[in-house]
Amino acid sequence: MKRQIGTRTEINDDSDLAIKVKNLHKSFKLPTEQAFGLKQAFFNRLRGIKGYKEQKVLKGIDFEVKKGEFLGIVGRNGSGKSTLLKILAGIYYPEKGEITINGTLVPFIELGVGFNPELTGRENVYMNGALLGFSNEEMDKMYDDIWDFAELKDFQDQKLKNYSSGMQVRLAFSIAIRAKGDILLLDEVLAVGDAAFQQKCSDYFNSLKDRNQTVILVTHSMENVRKFCTRAILIDNGLIVKEGDPNKIADAYTKLWQ
Amino acid sequence: MGIPKVLNRKNRILLKELTKTDFKLRYQGSVLGYLWALLRPLLMFAILYVVFAKLLRIGGDIPHYSVYLLCGTSMWSFFTECTSQGIQAIVNRGDLLRKVSFPKYIVVVSATLTAVINMLINLAVIIIFALINGVEFNLSWFLAIPAILELYLLSLGLAFFLGAINVKYRDITSIWDVLTQALFYAVPIIYPISMVASTSALAAKVILLNPISQAIQDIRFGLITHETITTWNYLGNPFLSLIPITLVLIILIIGAISFRRKSKFFAEEV
Repeated sequence: MKRQIGTRTEINDDSDLAIKVKNLHKSFKLPTEQAFGLKQAFFNRLRGIKGYKEQKVLKGIDFEVKKGEFLGIVGRNGSGKSTLLKILAGIYYPEKGEITINGTLVPFIELGVGFNPELTGRENVYMNGALLGFSNEEMDKMYDDIWDFAELKDFQDQKLKNYSSGMQVRLAFSIAIRAKGDILLLDEVLAVGDAAFQQKCSDYFNSLKDRNQTVILVTHSMENVRKFCTRAILIDNGLIVKEGDPNKIADAYTKLWQ
Repeated sequence: MGIPKVLNRKNRILLKELTKTDFKLRYQGSVLGYLWALLRPLLMFAILYVVFAKLLRIGGDIPHYSVYLLCGTSMWSFFTECTSQGIQAIVNRGDLLRKVSFPKYIVVVSATLTAVINMLINLAVIIIFALINGVEFNLSWFLAIPAILELYLLSLGLAFFLGAINVKYRDITSIWDVLTQALFYAVPIIYPISMVASTSALAAKVILLNPISQAIQDIRFGLITHETITTWNYLGNPFLSLIPITLVLIILIIGAISFRRKSKFFAEEV
């Protein structure tokens, strides 16, 4: 079984291009019945059943991101936004098409990746930091700031399973914002915590915007699109249907249901 | 993707932290904690010693038989722990693979490194027992190092190869469980190879062509007694003696190549 593979190239030059995506396609093979076993695979082959059906998720996506842009990607559930982000992040392989990434890219597909409930907050902070590429020594230096920002200092030696879900997300967010990269990929990470913490997050995004950080944000919050993005893209059914001013895109998104 | 990128700073940090976490989690919530890394092989050894050396009276002609046995069982558990943890590593860390992009081999290596740490603890125990037992220090002790390394590379090769298949066909985990049970009796761990050799020299030779037998016998030869029958001193033919090592290299290379090819799709398939 040979699958064609597109390309994802990482470069590093002074041009104003941050990301370029050309004719990107992606489909998944979804098992039609429980195919997680040798027996099933064997019988499927005997009967000439493929055992999966092809689901086309991205059907030819083209766009560019310039350095310093805050790009919003919006669309309904299942439109292909997250798949696109995962391909940009290098988690999924592009099936067809070309992707060029200029500079270091730091993705946040989900907060608290690698968090383990059986470990203490302290241990989890170091583990999560390692996933962002921070060594022990570097984590030592920002350790106190992380806990101060999360406002959870008293809980650092408690096991993570004793944290409420809100507390876990706050801790994860505090670590995530330490990440440094030329391009940040954010998937739905704004909706965390109570009102006070939301304000902190909002401040963080404003600071990103102020220092002209290149950001790609996948979100369902049109409020955030209007507030932070300099440009936006609307994806529907695996294709870009509209691109441009964030306010217009937010309006178009809202109209999808009318 | 050259060699320098494979072990770049970011990957090293991740490997270290994952290994630390794996090791911590292994003994999390147990009263004796890390002591189990020591206790488990010792208890296993005690059982085998009572059954085989005392009740069945095997191995009377081998000097320091109890340490000889301990050495074999420890190295065997190293092999099984390495392979079984390595094979399941990708599936166990599926959550991570789906959300972060990093070289997938790191997950497999970190899972096997926990077994390496356990093995090193056991090695210290073996050496202490050996000294108590009257084995004297000998430069040949250092011969154990390449043999242990060979055993590790074999485990790693198998973990890469089988672990990649296990992502799609989870049966591999169960099949490997049964297979290692069978392999255990095909390797001269609880019985001395001399016992086989006395009935059939050919059978003994075949057994010694297995890289696991070869490595374990070499470790025993180096550490415990030069009376150990090894692939090198028993097969006679130097070309034949190279078969086990060649096998290890082939398994490692095939394992690494097939893992690398399949790893592109782990994130979507796991």
